[in-house]
Amino acid sequence: MSAASIRRLAMYAYAATVLAFILVPLLIIVPMSFTSGTSLSFPTPGFSLRWYQELVDDPRWLTSFVNSVIVASASTLLSCLLGIPAAIGLAWGNFPGKRIVYALVAAPLVAPIVIVGVASFSFFAAAGLTGSRWALILSHTALAVPIMLTTVVASLSGFDRTLVRAAASLGAGTVRTFFRVILPLIAPGVVSGAIIAFIISFDEVVVASFLTTGEQRTLPRMIFSGVRESVSPAIAAVAVLLIAFSAVLLGIIGWLQSRAVRLRSRASA
Amino acid sequence: MSGGATRTGQRGRRQNMLTAAMVAPLVLFIVVVFLWPVARFLALSVDNSDISSNLSRTFAAIGDWQPATGSPPEPLLDALVQDLAEARNKGRDGVLAQLINQRQVGTRFLVIKTAKDAAEGKFDARPVGDALLATYPGWADPALWTEIIRARGTLTAYYLLGSLDLQRSADGGIERVPADRAVFVDALLRTIWISLVVTVVCAVLAIPVAQAIVSAPPAWSRIMFALVLFPLWTSLLVRTVIWIIVLQKNGPVNAALVFSGLVDTPLTLIYTRFSLYIAMIQVLLPLMVLSLVSVMRRVPASYMKAALSLGAPWATAWRRVQLPLIMPGLLAGSAIVFVFALGYYITPILVGGPGDQMISSYIAFYTNTTLNWGLAAALSVQLLLVLLASAFLLWTARVLTRRPAGAP
Repeated sequence: MSAASIRRLAMYAYAATVLAFILVPLLIIVPMSFTSGTSLSFPTPGFSLRWYQELVDDPRWLTSFVNSVIVASASTLLSCLLGIPAAIGLAWGNFPGKRIVYALVAAPLVAPIVIVGVASFSFFAAAGLTGSRWALILSHTALAVPIMLTTVVASLSGFDRTLVRAAASLGAGTVRTFFRVILPLIAPGVVSGAIIAFIISFDEVVVASFLTTGEQRTLPRMIFSGVRESVSPAIAAVAVLLIAFSAVLLGIIGWLQSRAVRLRSRASA
Repeated sequence: MSGGATRTGQRGRRQNMLTAAMVAPLVLFIVVVFLWPVARFLALSVDNSDISSNLSRTFAAIGDWQPATGSPPEPLLDALVQDLAEARNKGRDGVLAQLINQRQVGTRFLVIKTAKDAAEGKFDARPVGDALLATYPGWADPALWTEIIRARGTLTAYYLLGSLDLQRSADGGIERVPADRAVFVDALLRTIWISLVVTVVCAVLAIPVAQAIVSAPPAWSRIMFALVLFPLWTSLLVRTVIWIIVLQKNGPVNAALVFSGLVDTPLTLIYTRFSLYIAMIQVLLPLMVLSLVSVMRRVPASYMKAALSLGAPWATAWRRVQLPLIMPGLLAGSAIVFVFALGYYITPILVGGPGDQMISSYIAFYTNTTLNWGLAAALSVQLLLVLLASAFLLWTARVLTRRPAGAP
């Protein structure tokens, strides 16, 4: 065996080990969550669905899940309303200060999340909005909209702008052109961006723990306070469901992107 | 001809205004919901209005009186009683007592009780000085008055100094706080150190993985890339919680260690610096792989092959040819990982021990538990400055490594 092929083998073995380090923890808790025992000891004493049943039976888990879905959906919708027009404006516009706008919009991405949480708490308390879902929805929108913006800007990069002029010359107004020409063509990017925005809000825990109490608790907030007491198998069960949820959404995005690539190659062929 | 150009120019200008108008709502939203709240919070690090506005008469009456020269004069105590009565009536006495107590520990009840009595008119008879000092001799303490005089002014450096374990000394200079109260410089250095270790380990782990992704056959490359990306899609909280389950006393890792005979009794792996490193590295590693892959895809494999065929040992060829070519990706990845690591909160709180907490935990602690907003804001200013400085350094390094073509 030559030195080159040994090096190649070593590289793949190393990569496999690192990938295992990243992924095995996510997989190993799947069987552990089906434990029939009362704690998460390993090896698992026996298997049952009791902890999944517990999630269904305990109304707090269901309430927090519904809260998370409401907050994440509203943040996603707001991100679309703010992000799509802004993305078109930034992609096609030629006005001064574009770089400043990009830097400004990217700021929530890099700001330490605790600072965002504390600042939002103090701001919304002064505005009298604590205890309302709106505070969390607005903060989550600020965190999600940068991704929405970059995804849509990226999907506009291959956009043929003569189509817009063609629509205008055929008598379509701005609104009609947007919904009938622009939106269908950038739809894969918009849907990907919306899914990512949804996930960002759905998974966010720090700002949620500063802004929500009692009835408004989101699912991550519920996990967070549960974990600080003890890690029960119910938490492992939630974790598994959340991982499965992410896997499904990632699958949808992968499918959308491959479809977009196929459509584009067919259009250019 | 010129008319046509003007018309195009007008149309262009109108379109620019339209596109700017499409961007405006988002900019406005970010300013109102993100930038303004953060700026407002950071401003609390120098804000002294709770003291200066509630003790305005007192500060005016101090004049050039020195606490060392003897007991406080009658007009000063009179002004103090009026200020405290008003603070009590406005419901600000609790805040004021807390702020004075931060500076001179053990004076909270002195302030609150005096304010209560003053508001109830117990010190209405003139002169008030003797009555006040007879009931509350604490107001004759020169040390308390020294702190009060130091706290005058609408702005204060008190919290920013405090976040660096510094305070004003009796003679007005700056000195270190007593060793038992000095925790923030340690916390800052610990935050930087943990982030540095995580960044370096991520780089070492990620380079071969990224290389494998780039050089594998397309199908394998796609699968490996998806597997690296997958954890980015699961929540940070879930990935952190999983490490508690995996590393606990009777978890899988300890079970494997005991089963293989490497250890006799399960090890304490969780709530240590070790578990914090493991969890942070697992969470941040995909970001490093991502930036490396995006740069490595543009580096032709032929460069390394050429270096090897010219007789360079593999290590030398890698160091002299491959490393400089992938350096932009390495620096970008390091910047992302380091900057994200600096602000970590959930992971240290959940899987670290008491001695492994980073700056963010202190910020949360001072807002949630002790309501010391000034100090929380000062620590936030500190964290943001470190973040900006490191981002700037890594960005500069990245620009410098873009060597002109043909240079050795």
